[in-house]
Amino acid sequence: MTGIAARMRLWGDAARWSAQRAVARAVTGGLREALRGRSLLAVVAIAFGVALGYAVELVNHAAVSELNADLAVLAGNADLEVRGPRSGFDEMLYPTIARDAGVAVASPVVEVGVKLRDHDEPLDVLGVDVFRAAQINPALVAVARERVDALRSDALFPSTGAAQWLGVDVGDSVIVQAGLHDVALRVAGRAGADRAGRYAVMDIAAVQDRFDRGGRLTRIDLRLRAGANAEAVQKRLQALLPPGVDVAPPSSSAQATTRFSRAYRVNLNVLALVALFTGAMLVYATQTLSAVRRRPQFALLRTLGLSRRRLVMWVIGEGAVLGAIGAGVGLATGYLIASMALARFGPDLGAGFFEAGAAKPAAEPLSILIFAALGIGAAVLASALPAREAARAAPAAALKAIDADVLLPAATNRIAWLLIGVGFGMAFLPSIDELPLFGYLAIALILTGGILAIPAAAQAALSRIRAPRALPLSLALAHLRATPGRFAAMLAAVVASVALMVSMAIMVTSFRQSLDDWLRVVLPADLYLRAGTDSAFLSPRDQQVIAAIPGVARAEFMRVTSIIVDPSRPRVVLLARDIDPHDAGARIALVGRDIVPAAGAPPPVWISEAVADMQHLTAGAAMTLPIGGRNVAFTVAGVFRDYARQQGSIVIERARYRALSGDDAVNEAALWLAQDASVAAVRDAIARYSGGRARIRAETPASLRDLSLATFDRTFAVTYALEAAAVIIGLVGLSAALAAQTLARSREFGMLRHVGMTRRQIEAMLAIEGAVLAAIGVAAGLIQGFAVSLILIHVVNRQSFHWGMSLHVPWLSLALLAVVLLVLATAVAAASARRATGIAAVRAVREDW
Amino acid sequence: MVELRDVAKAFDGSSPRQIFTGLSLRVEPGEYVAVVGASGVGKSTLLNTIAGLEAVDAGDVIVDGVDCAHLDDEARTTFRRDRMGFVFQAFHVLPYLSVAANVALPLALQGLHGEAADARVHAMLEAVGLGGREASAPRELSGGELQRVAIARALVHRPSLVLADEPTGNLDPQTARQIVALLRETVKASGAAAVLATHSRAVAASADRVYRLAKDGLHPTSAADIE
Amino acid sequence: MIPPRLPLRGCAAPQGGGIRGSGRPVAANVILSRRRFLALALGVAVTPARGEVTYPDVEAGTTLVFPRDEGAHPAFRSEWWYVTGWLRDSRGRDYGFQITFFRNRPGVAEASTSRFAPKQLLFAHAAIADPGVERLRVDQRAAREGFGLAYASADRTDVRIDDWSLVQDADRFVAKIAARDFALDLSLAATMPPLLEGDRGVSRKGPDPVDASYYYSRPQLVVTGTLTLGDDARQVTGVAWLDHEWSSRYLPQGAVGWDWTGIDFDDGSALMAFRIRDASAKALWAGGTWRGAHGATRTLAPDEIAFTPLAHWRSPRTGIDYPVSFRVRAGNSDVTLAPLFPDQELDARIGVGTVYWEGAVRAMVGDRPAGRGYLELTGYGQPLRI
Repeated sequence: MTGIAARMRLWGDAARWSAQRAVARAVTGGLREALRGRSLLAVVAIAFGVALGYAVELVNHAAVSELNADLAVLAGNADLEVRGPRSGFDEMLYPTIARDAGVAVASPVVEVGVKLRDHDEPLDVLGVDVFRAAQINPALVAVARERVDALRSDALFPSTGAAQWLGVDVGDSVIVQAGLHDVALRVAGRAGADRAGRYAVMDIAAVQDRFDRGGRLTRIDLRLRAGANAEAVQKRLQALLPPGVDVAPPSSSAQATTRFSRAYRVNLNVLALVALFTGAMLVYATQTLSAVRRRPQFALLRTLGLSRRRLVMWVIGEGAVLGAIGAGVGLATGYLIASMALARFGPDLGAGFFEAGAAKPAAEPLSILIFAALGIGAAVLASALPAREAARAAPAAALKAIDADVLLPAATNRIAWLLIGVGFGMAFLPSIDELPLFGYLAIALILTGGILAIPAAAQAALSRIRAPRALPLSLALAHLRATPGRFAAMLAAVVASVALMVSMAIMVTSFRQSLDDWLRVVLPADLYLRAGTDSAFLSPRDQQVIAAIPGVARAEFMRVTSIIVDPSRPRVVLLARDIDPHDAGARIALVGRDIVPAAGAPPPVWISEAVADMQHLTAGAAMTLPIGGRNVAFTVAGVFRDYARQQGSIVIERARYRALSGDDAVNEAALWLAQDASVAAVRDAIARYSGGRARIRAETPASLRDLSLATFDRTFAVTYALEAAAVIIGLVGLSAALAAQTLARSREFGMLRHVGMTRRQIEAMLAIEGAVLAAIGVAAGLIQGFAVSLILIHVVNRQSFHWGMSLHVPWLSLALLAVVLLVLATAVAAASARRATGIAAVRAVREDW
Repeated sequence: MVELRDVAKAFDGSSPRQIFTGLSLRVEPGEYVAVVGASGVGKSTLLNTIAGLEAVDAGDVIVDGVDCAHLDDEARTTFRRDRMGFVFQAFHVLPYLSVAANVALPLALQGLHGEAADARVHAMLEAVGLGGREASAPRELSGGELQRVAIARALVHRPSLVLADEPTGNLDPQTARQIVALLRETVKASGAAAVLATHSRAVAASADRVYRLAKDGLHPTSAADIE
Repeated sequence: MIPPRLPLRGCAAPQGGGIRGSGRPVAANVILSRRRFLALALGVAVTPARGEVTYPDVEAGTTLVFPRDEGAHPAFRSEWWYVTGWLRDSRGRDYGFQITFFRNRPGVAEASTSRFAPKQLLFAHAAIADPGVERLRVDQRAAREGFGLAYASADRTDVRIDDWSLVQDADRFVAKIAARDFALDLSLAATMPPLLEGDRGVSRKGPDPVDASYYYSRPQLVVTGTLTLGDDARQVTGVAWLDHEWSSRYLPQGAVGWDWTGIDFDDGSALMAFRIRDASAKALWAGGTWRGAHGATRTLAPDEIAFTPLAHWRSPRTGIDYPVSFRVRAGNSDVTLAPLFPDQELDARIGVGTVYWEGAVRAMVGDRPAGRGYLELTGYGQPLRI
């Protein structure tokens, strides 16, 4: 009795063991095959996505931590920071604040963007009282061999990063521009620790004297007494401050600066996730096709007693292994890419957000974990549907099927359209914490839904074509009609990547065209003069001289400064310019209606789209601005487009600004020339006046436009590369899927050869299938890409950057893209057909699994 | 109809293997011949040789008075399309075509469409007992029914020669018996000659003549001699 | 002599503590001895100066006018108000204290119109010799003059750096010091007019008459007020000594250090004595003044002054031997100086680059305590980094 039971148990164990071995063989066989063939591609795709995502994350992280570190270094141990407009505030606030009972140390700072003779970009110079700064912020302490140099008015102390940038060492001199005059400063030492951040320190009195900042401060760093209530002190001090000057913890200004570039960083991240999405789609295709091909194997395993759940787990497990390998390779590659990108382009990949120098990628366990999880997760998710598919098939049916279609859930089409509908709905939701999260979600939903909708839509489209009789064509169509699920799987990656490329192409074209249009509107004059930022300016006398230069028919001047409109944000640019309130559209690119304030109403200002979005203002609204230390009421006369200043800008009439602030200097001028005047002659006259071309840059609208568009193209160069890579992966994926499918159909081709189909006919049939597939993929990609581009333009960009733009579709490029994709896909299909029509195919009719 | 004279065939490759030599066979129109032999002896190769799908190393293969060796691939394919019909062990019915479209495949390859073609497909399906199943999808059919479709496809264009390779290999005995009978009946009715490769006694028993395939050629035998 | 190093190093030095994250050693705990400060000030002149200014020299025969000369003399390179003294709390415990305000004219930004122009710099340090911990508690301040936050009045003694101040009201001085771990709020009342040091207030520092300063003292100041140690405020009384000295040049060639003492005798008399040592520990120059309880004054010639070390204390931190106890013979006085406790060393190497000893001492005549004062010993460490 016990003997029999034991034997039965033994037998059962043996059976289970052999079944498990069979499963193991089937699965490892699948894996081995996976690593050999097209699944290698899926691994590469996942690796690509993870690598890009991780590289972007590393670069971002390096940039942000560099930026934050620099801001932290500059803020030092300050508990609070008093901030005012760029033009500064009255220095007499300093003793008032310093005497507050809660304040232990008050460190006054004058910040000036100093124009350098030998560089285009200005250098941030911080004038500090070394005795005060030393108690709050070591980074602002001049370290000199002769300490008294810290107080000398000709001594400049660049940070290590600035010294590198300037290419100067202690003892060298740096020529800077004050007004229109050159001033030689002596590099007497270094500021702060070995920071890459680009700034320099001077004595506060020297900065006030040399850069016309007498009596002004831009910042006061505060350290509070131990036990002082920071909030109470902040409140008390705020009450002492005039409008436009705020007191807040320094972190808030760091946050404001970081936030400024965050949208750009998030966009890059999303682009990387796109690559990951394409990779996931490839895994999906690979796993689906492999599940179909191995259906009989799975059926056998099922008959041997493998539970449905175990089978699902096995297939998903395969996906996880693919994902893990891809993620591992991707993380390593990403680190390499990031290192190279940081070394080559700097932390903002050439977009010009950060000045920080040599940042290094830092591999943090958390982000490694996140990206590994993303890679594996994408592969697992992409395997889930094929796994279900594999387990669903009834064992018996699967055993006899020769070559069947992917079984899609009946509700697939409904789910697809539901996703698309919800996606479009989300596009109408506002941003979250100034990030267009719903916009991104909408894109993801529309893409996923779009891919799921392909089978039904394609079937509907194909069934409309009248059945042709000619043989290769009719067979190809019949095959495609009958297997929509399978080719949708094959197309997923192509559709996703084409959609993204198309959407980016439309978005970038729209942006570029809008930028070009904008430049035409805002550059109506013949010559533009720019003295510089803070330190360089044109005095009223300079203005008179310039306006009187022979050949100048008309001169308009502009003061560029910045003010705090919202303490939680970076300063907004204030443009005081000569502008006619009755014809503002002649100078700025107005969007929507504009008004002329009624008599008695507050005077007009015009606000950029960014300001309009952030302050929720439209034409006709009332607005208060702190100018000259007073709150002044204005009427918003219009909203204009400003691609140049993402932080937002406000235009005010120059005469009004001068009256309010007493500031009569200007930074820029626009000159209209007399009919017979030559641009070169006027430029020469200006150069003669300023004692050198560099002190006043004179540019024609054409060169400014070229410069702007070149900057634009440079910024988007990275995105082009990413898109192209995604499309190539999609295409390679398609070709691999086609090849795989051709291989799987070799018995079918063998039969056709037997019954009298020529090789050429079979090749034609496959080429037609490939072409039709590509056509469907490209069409779906175009349609989805168009939809996504609308979201990019009207939701993502608007919410991220507050840039409005009008839709411009690059028809020619898209048509070219479509043709290229069609030709490539057809060629790939034809090439794979060649392999299928040899003798081997003839023999394949006898092959059994 | 079919005449093989001193045919030799070898496979080269990493381990060259002589399949057969000195093989001769003559099949007259309307004759129904079976070739038996153990698995791997080269029955399928023999059929492929007759079909012009594989070249011979020596000897002549003449089908319907044509020596395929002198034709290019295109001409051989056309010849096969017009003169031959095939029945396979694994049916090879295209899953994405309807029953009627599968049967109509040889006609379509000849450029024959429309009512005439439909009529012949219909008649053929009637003949194999699948009248009214024209629109069915192959996945709705049983194994026996699939082989009936295959037989219809093999005969619909009125070939002069039908080649069948283990036509009952994938079928249960009862279905196999029905298919054996149907195949003989329809082939005989069409007037075509037929060569069947099989190791099944039942299939061999339905033939007019039976040959055993060996390395040195074909030897007459009878169904009764098959183990 | 002690090589002048990094002039104005102290200017840029932050206060101790609270400085984090700096990659470079930024000075902490900068304490200047009065002579050291002069040495530093001299360094400014030695370095090639830009925007050279002319500092006035000390001129023999100048008559000091009070209270005007108790205020600042901004034209001179440097100036200090140096208070040292003893405090006793209600439980009879003795403490030493020093409060010093330095003024410096670095000679830069003289033409600037900015209110921040660093024409006048102010430094201050304060220390408590606390027998409870047997070491010094120290803190300091530094600022440029301006905005009423830091200044030295030219009318009378009225110097301030933020919440540290020393203000004269006729014959009374009020000192307020809020340091990191102690606070002083003291009234210092003078009972006699200022004591002119040297030749009617012109004190020579070396054989060359050019090396001199204007120098007067206010000994025997009666101290009352509050000493807060940590959170513990206590009423204190005591006696203190105020030195006020200004000059543009100070140390002679060849000097390596100096010993200085100022003693308030219990009988109301007072003695100041100093010597300037060369590398062989011999006195290059010496000077002193004695004043009796009733105002009789005697200026002492260099050969009337002798410092004889009696006991040494070796610093466990720096390994420097300090003669913390002296026999001082100055004119008719012959006193033994015994420290309140030995460890009154000030380690300011990070800041001014020197270590010295400045501490409260008892003056004994024979075995009998006869007075209380301060002793300053510099230049005993190994020759400092150049």
